[in-house]
Amino acid sequence: MGSSSDRPAAAPGTRAEPRRSMAVCAVIGVAVMAAVDEIVFHQILHWHHFYDRSTTGAGLLSDGLLHTAELLMLVAGFFAHADLRRRRALAPAHAWAGFLLGLGAFQLFDGIVDHKLLRVHQIRYGVDVTPYDWAWNISGALLLLAGAALAVRAARSPAAGPAS
Amino acid sequence: MTLAHAHPGPGADPSAAGWPALGAALSVTVLYLLAARRLRRRGDLWPRWRDGSFAAGGAAVVWAALGGHPGGPFTGHMIQHLVVGMAAPLLLVLARPLTLALRALGPGSVRRGLLALARSRPVGLLVCPPVAGLLDVGGMWLLYRTGLFAAVRHQPLPHALVHAHLLAAGLLFTFAVCRLDPVRRRWGLAVRGVTLLAVGAAHGVLAKSLYAVPPPGTAFGTADLRAGARWMYYGGDLVEVALAVVLGVGWYASAGRARARRARRERAALVA
Repeated sequence: MGSSSDRPAAAPGTRAEPRRSMAVCAVIGVAVMAAVDEIVFHQILHWHHFYDRSTTGAGLLSDGLLHTAELLMLVAGFFAHADLRRRRALAPAHAWAGFLLGLGAFQLFDGIVDHKLLRVHQIRYGVDVTPYDWAWNISGALLLLAGAALAVRAARSPAAGPAS
Repeated sequence: MTLAHAHPGPGADPSAAGWPALGAALSVTVLYLLAARRLRRRGDLWPRWRDGSFAAGGAAVVWAALGGHPGGPFTGHMIQHLVVGMAAPLLLVLARPLTLALRALGPGSVRRGLLALARSRPVGLLVCPPVAGLLDVGGMWLLYRTGLFAAVRHQPLPHALVHAHLLAAGLLFTFAVCRLDPVRRRWGLAVRGVTLLAVGAAHGVLAKSLYAVPPPGTAFGTADLRAGARWMYYGGDLVEVALAVVLGVGWYASAGRARARRARRERAALVA
């Protein structure tokens, strides 16, 4: 979380901050997708395992760091978002674009790096995992594309700010 | 601050180990409540929830000390570990005991001594977040990944000492990361946040490794071991989020104050 002390001094609290809005909501998006992954696939469906014995030490360490970072990102994003709203600096179009970009980026990262490269865990066990991997990564790519499209639209909109 | 703390391990005598902890926790809590009352009587603001938080922290220590925990032996131990090492320290630290002591004590040698201690170099080093974090999570790795846990499990005094260390290290870490009380050096949000990340990750990795491999020299049932490891993992998450919220609230409040200061300065500049 950056400090807000580097903001222009004139008229504090009235200027929209599109870049910061996008970045903060991307952080929230990453953390929300990570939470969805934990709640839906670990806790509800029980497809993912708490600990997959084939996990390497590096995988375990990266998993621990990521999981902790996601929790911190959720809290940090919440407070940074609250600060943007308090200063009336939230740019909604950019914020939504950032949120979708964050959702998609995490989904793709999890699908490619965690599942395939580090092999921390698989989506499901005891079945052919290929269709699951494709569904997982395509959904991530779609979210990422939707976020990118919203970002382009937000950047083009004339009132790139609170009015959009 | 440290509380003498002991607890009955499996095979230990509950009354012998539990009573000193009960007495210590009770007397520290009563002292806190008396000091808070003194402040309020002279007109100082001291939020009531802090009294509740401190009392709950004291009660948590007592609960852990008196034994009778749910689940198998390892799960029971782990729940106790979470309460003593994480939940109770957070509740106690949130109540800002050092600030209260400095405000409640009249000018005199006791207050001077406490202030000198809080600002001393060794204390400054101990409450440096990475040092406090290493002492806290490092001690846990030593406990569960060497023969220490098996060695102290059935001996009341060493077991009590291990739990006293757990409480002291938990208090130190929470105190350093939350930075609510005045000490020698006020570490910034980045240092405290990164420390929280590193300690949280080390705690989570240890929990997952316990799920697969028990501490050396112990033979817990698989179900018991796994339940205990899950408690450690998700309980750790819960406390970590709580600590992050404390950091976030602090940042939000200080950013708001900074903004108000800027606005005042601009108004003053306009008038001048």
